[in-house]
Amino acid sequence: MVTTARPTRTDYYKALAANLPARALVVTSLGNASYLWAALHHATENFYFEDAMGLTLPLALGVAISQPDRPVIAVEGDGALLMHLGALVTIGAVNPANLTILLIQNGVHGAAGGQALANASLDLAAVARASGISHAENLTRADLLGERIKSAPERNGTGFLVLATEPDLEVVTPPVSLDPVATKLRFMTAIDAPRYVPTLFGGGMLTRG
Amino acid sequence: MTTPTEGAETHRPSAVLNTLKRLGFGVVVSVPDGWLGEMLIRIEQEPTIKLVRATHEEEALAIACGSRLGGVRTALLVQNAGVLSMGAGMVSLAQRYQFPLLMLVSYRGNPEDPVFYHVPKGRVTEPVFRGIGLSHACSDRHRPIGPQVEQAATYAEEASCPFALLLSREDIQW
Repeated sequence: MVTTARPTRTDYYKALAANLPARALVVTSLGNASYLWAALHHATENFYFEDAMGLTLPLALGVAISQPDRPVIAVEGDGALLMHLGALVTIGAVNPANLTILLIQNGVHGAAGGQALANASLDLAAVARASGISHAENLTRADLLGERIKSAPERNGTGFLVLATEPDLEVVTPPVSLDPVATKLRFMTAIDAPRYVPTLFGGGMLTRG
Repeated sequence: MTTPTEGAETHRPSAVLNTLKRLGFGVVVSVPDGWLGEMLIRIEQEPTIKLVRATHEEEALAIACGSRLGGVRTALLVQNAGVLSMGAGMVSLAQRYQFPLLMLVSYRGNPEDPVFYHVPKGRVTEPVFRGIGLSHACSDRHRPIGPQVEQAATYAEEASCPFALLLSREDIQW
């Protein structure tokens, strides 16, 4: 029997979890992009967005720049990407090879209840290529995502994988607190980021230890 | 006769750049403004600072948040109009997650820069900053600019929030 059903976000996330590179940092967009990833694979190296729609990819670019020796995986939705398409141009210009973008293309604003996009039929992989991200392709199978994640170290630039996905409108309950400041501090502690020493203690600079 | 160091300190844009270097800023994210152009070229030539040219100021803000999240001291160089257009990201990302960011902002359209198309932005800049809770200060042309940049950077870190230092032409235009 031939089926045209697209994989679910869960299918893709299971493939990602099964093939997650060592020392990977994962940045997930608002809504189920974060809630479901927290439910399936919570880790201190995850940075969960709450709100701030459209800003996941530029934030992930900043992480990739500042952590060049670690793989950075960003999960964004098609609706959020359309809010800041210019970010693709910036990412294409910087083109960090340690950044892999997974774009959930479900054709709706999922976190807003499934409302229509301005245009749900764009070839976003082609848009990414035109923006300077040469390693961009459309995927329709979760097993292919696993293969692309495994082969990511062989790329010479940013990867952009557009994942055809069934919409998931039922809100997943995350198993951990996604308090923004707690998320940030947990992440920075996990990567052993240098800390700021206050001037009262003779600091004023970022230092390690 | 002045030494090269003294000369650099009397040239306010040089003092801004030297302060960023001394404080260990490793990333600068920017959307250009006429006053910032040469400064950005100078930053691009610095081996210890990576310059990222963004397409939009809200995007630049998020890149800066990510860079700081990754443990690198980061500054934003933008025009005041750019801060007006990054409002949602400012409150829902930078402030909500408490990212310490130094923002060096060219203050266009204030009474010292009465260009007709900048004036509408200059008129609302400080009221909008207050409205969105963005901590800020205007540079003082009678004081050296380097210490003012350092104070702004220190405020951002110690208060864990973005801090905008509004700069005049002589502070930032090379």
